[in-house]
Amino acid sequence: MIRKKIQIALVMMCLALFPLYGQKQTPPEGGKPKNFTLPEIENFKLDNGLQVSMVHYGILPKASLQLVLRVGNINEKPDEVWLADLTGDMLKEGTTTLTSRQIAEKAADMGGSVDVSVGPDQMNMGGSVLQEFAPDMVQLMADMVEHPAFPETEIGRLKKNMLRRLTVQKNQPRSQAIEKFDAVLYGDHPYGRIFPTPTMINSYDLQKVKAFYLANYGAKRAHLYIVGKFDGPAVRKAVEAAFKDWKPGSDPFILKPSPKSEKKVYLIDRPGAPQSTIYLGLPVADPSSPDFLPLMVMNNLLGGSFASRITSNIREDKGYTYSPHSQVTTHYRDAYWLEVADVTTKFTGPSLKEIFYEIKRLQQEPPSAEELKGIQNYMAGTFVLRNSNPGSIINQLAFMNLHGLDASYLRDYVKNVYAVTPEQVQEMARRYLKTDRMTIVVVGDKKVVKRQLRPYGKIVL
Amino acid sequence: MRPQRLIFILLAVSLAGLLSCGKQQSAFQVPVEYHKLDNGLKVVLSPNHTAPTVVVAVYYNIGFRIEPKNRTGFAHLFEHLMFQGSQNLGKMEFIRLVQKNGGVLNGSTRFDFTNYFEILPAHKLETALWAEADRMKGLAINQANLDNQRAVVKNEVKVNVLNRPYGGFPWLDMPQYANENWYNAHNFYGDLKDLDATTLKDAKNFFHTYYAPDNAALAIVGDFDPAEALQMVRKYFGGIPSVQLPPKPDISEPEQTKEKRFVKKDRLANRPAYAFAYHMPERNTPEYYAMGLIDQILLQGDDSRLYQALVQEKGYTGRISGGINLLGNMFNYNGPMLWMGNLIHDPSVPADSITAVIDREIAKISSRPVSQKTLDRAIVKIRSDLYDTMGGFFGIGEADLLAAFALFDDDPGRINDIEPEFRKITPQQIMETAKKYLRPTNRTILILEPQAGS
Repeated sequence: MIRKKIQIALVMMCLALFPLYGQKQTPPEGGKPKNFTLPEIENFKLDNGLQVSMVHYGILPKASLQLVLRVGNINEKPDEVWLADLTGDMLKEGTTTLTSRQIAEKAADMGGSVDVSVGPDQMNMGGSVLQEFAPDMVQLMADMVEHPAFPETEIGRLKKNMLRRLTVQKNQPRSQAIEKFDAVLYGDHPYGRIFPTPTMINSYDLQKVKAFYLANYGAKRAHLYIVGKFDGPAVRKAVEAAFKDWKPGSDPFILKPSPKSEKKVYLIDRPGAPQSTIYLGLPVADPSSPDFLPLMVMNNLLGGSFASRITSNIREDKGYTYSPHSQVTTHYRDAYWLEVADVTTKFTGPSLKEIFYEIKRLQQEPPSAEELKGIQNYMAGTFVLRNSNPGSIINQLAFMNLHGLDASYLRDYVKNVYAVTPEQVQEMARRYLKTDRMTIVVVGDKKVVKRQLRPYGKIVL
Repeated sequence: MRPQRLIFILLAVSLAGLLSCGKQQSAFQVPVEYHKLDNGLKVVLSPNHTAPTVVVAVYYNIGFRIEPKNRTGFAHLFEHLMFQGSQNLGKMEFIRLVQKNGGVLNGSTRFDFTNYFEILPAHKLETALWAEADRMKGLAINQANLDNQRAVVKNEVKVNVLNRPYGGFPWLDMPQYANENWYNAHNFYGDLKDLDATTLKDAKNFFHTYYAPDNAALAIVGDFDPAEALQMVRKYFGGIPSVQLPPKPDISEPEQTKEKRFVKKDRLANRPAYAFAYHMPERNTPEYYAMGLIDQILLQGDDSRLYQALVQEKGYTGRISGGINLLGNMFNYNGPMLWMGNLIHDPSVPADSITAVIDREIAKISSRPVSQKTLDRAIVKIRSDLYDTMGGFFGIGEADLLAAFALFDDDPGRINDIEPEFRKITPQQIMETAKKYLRPTNRTILILEPQAGS
């Protein structure tokens, strides 16, 4: 204990005498990189158009299954917000031969559950089960998506749940921010409608749900992923048997948005709030663009990773916030860059100042080769992680399929990441992060923050 | 399918060479190699060559439960400080080191431990071990670092609790209401005043008291050679001196004899919420394993009794969540614990009608033995959950169990014994455990009263 104290004292002295820095040990480099081979993907297609990808991966005795359908909020009319979600919820309420309880119990007997979630472009249905039950899970999922019972008795309860969820969510600062941000960018496009009104929810009935289902569900829009441990031939046989009679349905509905952004500050009052929730961003290149990967490199360096510039600045240097991060949110043929931060109220203006400072600094000066190399290593490393877990393998394949990226995306990813130059990173920041066009949404205490926001654009209340 | 599984068990056996014969075994076996260095550091190695990645996790046997009494929130603040600088790595250098080597990292503070972990490309194992050893050797931070992280932590509390409807409900609130012993019942995130009062001296004392090899476990999971790894561990950690640990305070909870009921007003929430908590049986007893299965029967999944009753049948809520140890799982704690559940409902549903449904469902399992089918389903679910836990976050879940079992039980091999322990439980034991622990007099009900307009 005493020895240790002395050691600490010495360390503290070293730190005080900064020039001694050079005497620090350098971390060991580690060994030789090991080969990473992407897991092999077995693809096939049924006559009705259903696409299937199977990947044998890992050692844990479980299989993950997801049916991803090109149906989502994009398919809703202006007065139908969350109708896609309600339709998804109804799938769990029973099939023509099983009650909701039987569905839940069947899935539980396989060590899993069937979860349904609906997003802007896609809905996901599936779960993970003990490996020996993968064929049974295929059958259950097929039954749920092909033969929903849509029982009249349950819709009232689901609508009540939806109304409660709406009320609760709309009170969260981040929900308020994203609702405004997306509305500003997308206007009348479905991507701009995050929340329904209670009136809309009250208007939904079985007829609307069935019509939505009939118009949008079908094999041509679907891709089934099975990743993990499972008996390949048995699962394939189960897929063919369970899905062969599913109607092909219609092709995916495509409605490309024309997102807009201008330099304005949308202030949503949250009286007495100890923090301001900041959403700041604008439209950028989508995943089908050759700029997308360099843009991701730029994003990771600027705000998308723990050691990134914005996070280092407003968290680790200034202490304005706990969990700032930047990201690129993607839709089909559409994307926007976004910095999100919940900052201490009195540092709302200073946080914006630092975020813009970091964006401009990157626009004015390319990063050093060393800083870029660090980010490239990080992206190459996390690429391996993304491909070494059943759930994330599915997410990545679904991402590629939505955006029409072929096998070369995976094969060349690491090579392409390393090909990005410091000048390209600078160019991406210049081309896309136009500071005079940033949409800023702040959810915070108006009487305190309004004045702080003045330098950053016209304030819209 | 069967041959596949067989191959895999053989592989695991040959790697581990440690499986005790004669015991009933899990269907799935994790290789476990366990060593202790002379300075007391517990080292658990679990090779798995699926992907060229490696998890390095260092667990210190100090959680927020036993942090200093006048310094609530200190264990967590201190976790932040461990990223601020050590002998050879200055501010931000630890984070950059991991990131630029292609890895991710994090740390967390729980009831009974604080952990730090990295997931890196496999060939960077030595780099990670060196860095973790460096910060185990000593903290090198200054006042500016402390001020900075205090501000960061205060922002963490604001974003997760103070500016969030239902913030802290029930995970942070319930232990404070349900428990009587200060160690279990204080605000773990910390009173902002206590955080403000923290000094560099507190940090140094805390480090010297708890951050030492004899109070830690190191788990390595992933693609590595155990002999080589052990050599590196000895090289970097072997010379770190051990300390005299203070006696552990009495963290036991008195037996509850009366139902407790509290109302919390939430000025940001706009719908009422309800939470219940029962004190758990002591860890690792048959009753504890029975409670794990009761949790599956009553609360986990859409097939569970409370979901079926409260969501499907009554329509009181859309979702009920909860479990054993909301800040982890039923394995990674070491002291009194609660089994909890919570839901958000409409004002038209009185809290008493929720309690009535819970009592009705508990009565069904405490008045007669459950069917074998019900028990089998619970076992399938818990097995499946366990595998998900192990695989979670690229192997961190497995490292977590190994480190927790090393720290708390001096037996990381327990990871392979959990499943058989659940299989031993009988319908009779389920009934007796439910009767003994799921009684109103062992329960706390916390009602959240919304104060925001809708």
